[in-house]
Amino acid sequence: MAPEQFEERRKLADLSFLIQGITFTVYSDGRGTERLFPFDLIPRIIPNSEWRRIDRGLTQRVLALNLFLQDIYGKQCILRDRKISRSLVYSCAHFHREMVGVEVPKGIFTHICGIDLVRDSKTGEFLVLEDNVRTPSGISYVLENRLVMTRIFPEVFQACEVLPLSHYPAELCRILRSLSPRGEDDAQIVLLSPGIYNSAYFEHSFLAQQMGIELVEGRDLIVDGGIVYTKTIHGLKRVDVIYRRVDDEFLDSLTFRPDSLLGVPGLMGAYRAGNVALANAVGNGVADDKAIYAYVPEFIRYYLGEEPILQTVDTYVCAKATDLAYVLDHMSELVVKAVGESGGYGMLMGPTADRHTIQQFRNRVSANPRNYIAQPVIPLSRVPSYDPSSRRLAGRHVDLRPYCLFDGQKVTIVPGGLTRVALQRDSLVVNSSQGGGSKDTWILRGEG
Amino acid sequence: MLSRIAESLFWLARYIERAEDTARILDVNYQMLLEQSQDSYHLRWEPLIVMAGEEQLFRRLYSEVNAENVFEFLAFRHDNPGSIVQCIAKARENARTIRDRISREMWEDINGFYHMVSRFSPRDELVAGPHRFCDKIKFGTHRFHGVTDATSPHDEGWQFLRVGWSLERAEMTSRLVDVQYQNLLDELPTVGAPDNHQWMAVLRSVGAFEAYHRQYHSSIEPEKVAGMLILNSQHPRSIRFSTTEVQSGLRAISGTGQGSYANEAERLAGKVVERLSYDRIEEIFKQGLHSYLHELSQMFGLMGRDIARNYFYYAMVA
Repeated sequence: MAPEQFEERRKLADLSFLIQGITFTVYSDGRGTERLFPFDLIPRIIPNSEWRRIDRGLTQRVLALNLFLQDIYGKQCILRDRKISRSLVYSCAHFHREMVGVEVPKGIFTHICGIDLVRDSKTGEFLVLEDNVRTPSGISYVLENRLVMTRIFPEVFQACEVLPLSHYPAELCRILRSLSPRGEDDAQIVLLSPGIYNSAYFEHSFLAQQMGIELVEGRDLIVDGGIVYTKTIHGLKRVDVIYRRVDDEFLDSLTFRPDSLLGVPGLMGAYRAGNVALANAVGNGVADDKAIYAYVPEFIRYYLGEEPILQTVDTYVCAKATDLAYVLDHMSELVVKAVGESGGYGMLMGPTADRHTIQQFRNRVSANPRNYIAQPVIPLSRVPSYDPSSRRLAGRHVDLRPYCLFDGQKVTIVPGGLTRVALQRDSLVVNSSQGGGSKDTWILRGEG
Repeated sequence: MLSRIAESLFWLARYIERAEDTARILDVNYQMLLEQSQDSYHLRWEPLIVMAGEEQLFRRLYSEVNAENVFEFLAFRHDNPGSIVQCIAKARENARTIRDRISREMWEDINGFYHMVSRFSPRDELVAGPHRFCDKIKFGTHRFHGVTDATSPHDEGWQFLRVGWSLERAEMTSRLVDVQYQNLLDELPTVGAPDNHQWMAVLRSVGAFEAYHRQYHSSIEPEKVAGMLILNSQHPRSIRFSTTEVQSGLRAISGTGQGSYANEAERLAGKVVERLSYDRIEEIFKQGLHSYLHELSQMFGLMGRDIARNYFYYAMVA
């Protein structure tokens, strides 16, 4: 294809995203501007054999994480067996005592995980970077990217056999329906969104529409007598399942942050009483804590009796004295992260930071070691991407976020996931809030 | 249906309608001006500001009432909540909060419309004059109606859209007739020598010019024009037609049959429809057109408030 033709199709894709309003909101300029999530037309291709290994590794990980959450809010065997220290777990900012002893529907905590993988460009191996078991976002971009690609390059899809992923919403809906405390037939399912000003609002409305469920905000719901209702034009209507995209801390102003207007007062009471199901479960944040992350391989061995298929990044947990000493000595070689943050915030990139910043981090880490971990810098792999300025292909750093659905028995992972790409040359930052873009990810049918 | 969604649908439709009505009025008045003498220039623009209900704001922003200022004010000003671009932005904002509940085609249409309107450069349009701009707005809102009709189920949600645009249209038409008539009375020494151009403009602004001629086969007479805009049962922009639409929509929502009502809004709509069905234009002029239309406007206001109370605001009975 000639560069002009390619450029033309690229513009077609951009226009398609704009008209459909597939945008995210950036708050840095104070006005909450809507921006297009930059889309790179060159797909990333992962061989089927490699994908099958990733699939097995993720399945194993999701099962172990779910068992860990069940255990930690239940019998706490892993603490008694001293595989992880009690104080490390209890000191997680997102460990919620309110969840101890709560029997969640069908024992599922991690209905949806968006596990971030990176490929080490030295070893070529995929490593797990983050688990994202709270309210991971991005699946709508995966689905829409594919839709746009099939519209713009229909001929390529005819030639290559790319595994489809459009069954995601139906599978998610099936899982949500199965959680209903009143049986599945007339289950009322809603998606709870913080509203139009949330950066992932597009995704919330997209998923609600795809699943044919009601998109609600906190103000649309009310709890009366331990039952959750929606406010409709013809009166109150009972809700059975809430796919919530509101963080734990904002869910219920009676239990968590009293200043939250995004949630529903009394919701936790209804949840604990088993009158309404929430997905994902409350309290999952403990498994997202970056210090806990270091123990997930141990969870896999402990709960499943298996060796981890996917490796994790070596992690120094500053809460441990030996690790802390090492981190303080080698700060300029490491990536230092705050345990509770995500999205590239609260992070130090040792090798590129100036001396002053490193000193600042050293002080912070010494003052509150529990709040930090450190990892070696992973040289991210690069894949061919289109560079609009030179109109040529160039290597750009990428990561991969597959989406895993868990129904209590089996884990379903749509083939591929969100490939985020750092569109600036040499940049390692792929976060959409910081200039990253995305690509369609292809897993081809058959060998290869 | 969620109360919040019903409310967004209602306002989405109202804002689209308001944008269209404003564009129509602006366009027609501007065209008419081209055929007018210079001395009546200012008088032509005053009523538009009154009609938009933003006289005070206009005076604060501008020192002079002229074509350019009025055009800018009604079409582009972001600080005028009733300007066309603001109406479309608000319509789109409402659509955005309920995009999972409207058809994909509807959303893409409104969103595309919004992006098109935001790309207009006020400077260029002011030079080109309002016609091109207003035409695009009218085309855009017509497309919205077409897309909506063709792609969304005619369910409860659609009824809220219908009530929204019909109520807005009924209000705008009654304001239009009222203000134009007032203006003519002020301007002309004798009521017996009506300004045909002005009334032609009124007819054109609601797209009823051709229909008028087909119906009356006569020259433009103010009484007949007013009669057509108020009482005609078939013209989609007449007050009677629009109010009947409001009534039908409200009945479909509450499931009320003929001859009864489920709430105050339905009662008022029924009352207005009855009056408009049996009043004759001569009687209306006898009572005084202004006071008649003023009463109607008040009823429309009350209907809007009652719809909100019944369907949008939730008072939890403990």
